[in-house]
Amino acid sequence: MIQKISAPVSVETVYDHRKRTIAPRRIFWDGQIFRIAQVGLHHTFREGRTLFHIFSVTAQNLSFRLRLDTDSLFWTLEEISDGLTN
Amino acid sequence: MGLPIKPARLGGLDFNPAPSTVMHIDLNSCFATIEQQANPLLRGKPIAVAAYDSPNGCILAPSVQAKKLGIKVGMHVKDGRLLCPDLIVLPSDPDKYRSVHLGLKKVLSVYTPDIVPKSIDEFVLNFAGTPALRRGLFFIGQEIKDRIRNEVGDYLTVSIGLGPNRFLAKTASNLHKPDGLDEIDKNNFLKIYDSLTLTDLTGIARQNAIRLNSAGIYTVLDFFHADLRTLRAAFRSISDYYWFVRLRGWEIDDVDWGVKSFGHSYALPKFLTKPEELAPILTKLVEKLGFRMRREGYQARGVHLAVLFRDHEFWHQGLKLDQPLFLSQDIYRVAYRLLSHSPYHLPVRNLAVSCFGLSERDSLQLGLFEDKIKKESLVSAIDDINDRWGNFVITPALMANMGDVIKDRISFGK
Repeated sequence: MIQKISAPVSVETVYDHRKRTIAPRRIFWDGQIFRIAQVGLHHTFREGRTLFHIFSVTAQNLSFRLRLDTDSLFWTLEEISDGLTN
Repeated sequence: MGLPIKPARLGGLDFNPAPSTVMHIDLNSCFATIEQQANPLLRGKPIAVAAYDSPNGCILAPSVQAKKLGIKVGMHVKDGRLLCPDLIVLPSDPDKYRSVHLGLKKVLSVYTPDIVPKSIDEFVLNFAGTPALRRGLFFIGQEIKDRIRNEVGDYLTVSIGLGPNRFLAKTASNLHKPDGLDEIDKNNFLKIYDSLTLTDLTGIARQNAIRLNSAGIYTVLDFFHADLRTLRAAFRSISDYYWFVRLRGWEIDDVDWGVKSFGHSYALPKFLTKPEELAPILTKLVEKLGFRMRREGYQARGVHLAVLFRDHEFWHQGLKLDQPLFLSQDIYRVAYRLLSHSPYHLPVRNLAVSCFGLSERDSLQLGLFEDKIKKESLVSAIDDINDRWGNFVITPALMANMGDVIKDRISFGK
């Protein structure tokens, strides 16, 4: 089931200058810490000229869709899914 | 084209003896696989991407697992759920698919400069005259599969077909799905044709199969062996020659048709009947197509409107104009006039509007009675603002309160 959230969220990221990669490592949300197990997909899109990065990640048998606004550098948790039917 | 025309007229064109130089790449169950790539919890499960996740929503892409359960493209969500109660239905996410399309294109562009995206999930690569050809297309095909897994997504699989022309490469890519790598060339084409049915061929659906049957052609081998006269009796058009050449491995599909029209369509979730009820939707469709058309530097001399009604009645009409249009307001005026002339007053299921008769908007024909330069400056300023802040920051009043009614659909940039 997919649950739309659209709420601000705290995200810890790691930047590796050798591999030239950046990835979220932990999510702090709703009083819990979720350690990210896997980044399924990272994609980008623009709304006007603002670039957004979307990280689709999994942690503790849940899937999270995280959005980074590159103008404000604020993170938003867009949705959570448990991978089951809706 | 360099074809041996004379023997062709006599019905004796040989199969192209050249080695395969064309590679067709097809991302398997594209949208569903990308969703499974993004969300590993969905992998191995029957899922479907649908235009809407409501019961009457149309399934755009079932996953490989859902296809095995009989779920097909075009089915209603409710029918899919009858076949598989555990079916996970997701709305489409065009940005995600476009991003993967660009990722694939980046990987493929390394191998040849002659790369044509045929759709969001299909690419044609022509290796003729490239150094990559010396490494062998099978080797390159396997390398491309590995690189896509490593660089774009570990769950993404592609079917690859090789052939001396685009048609055979495409046909080869359909032989073993998912994750196939096959070739059709002078050595195996008869054996492969023998294993296919007419409707397995891209471009031969039920109606064309009936045409061929009426000319005594029932198998792909019959089709291949038929002479031009027999094919002419079936198709009654230039298609007979195209198929004659295509099936013999010569290139006939390497054509750039160019941009002929700009259009948008919308499937209404709630049926509306009156033109004034449909006006806000028509406005938004016109705004979207007008913005795209102007961005590409075109103006249009014609507007076409197509309406599909709830009872599957279809009506469409086009109007050619004396003066080219580029303003959304002007296009809307013509489209609304067409809509008002519809002889049917039935609930509308699908509304589509397009502009045709395109010409480049490099010079403006000035009018006696209106200030076109002023109009152009205004629309250019509005387009700039919408481009900077996202589409539809400035909209016509008719579109007020529409929100995100007409969602982004899955297009891709060539």
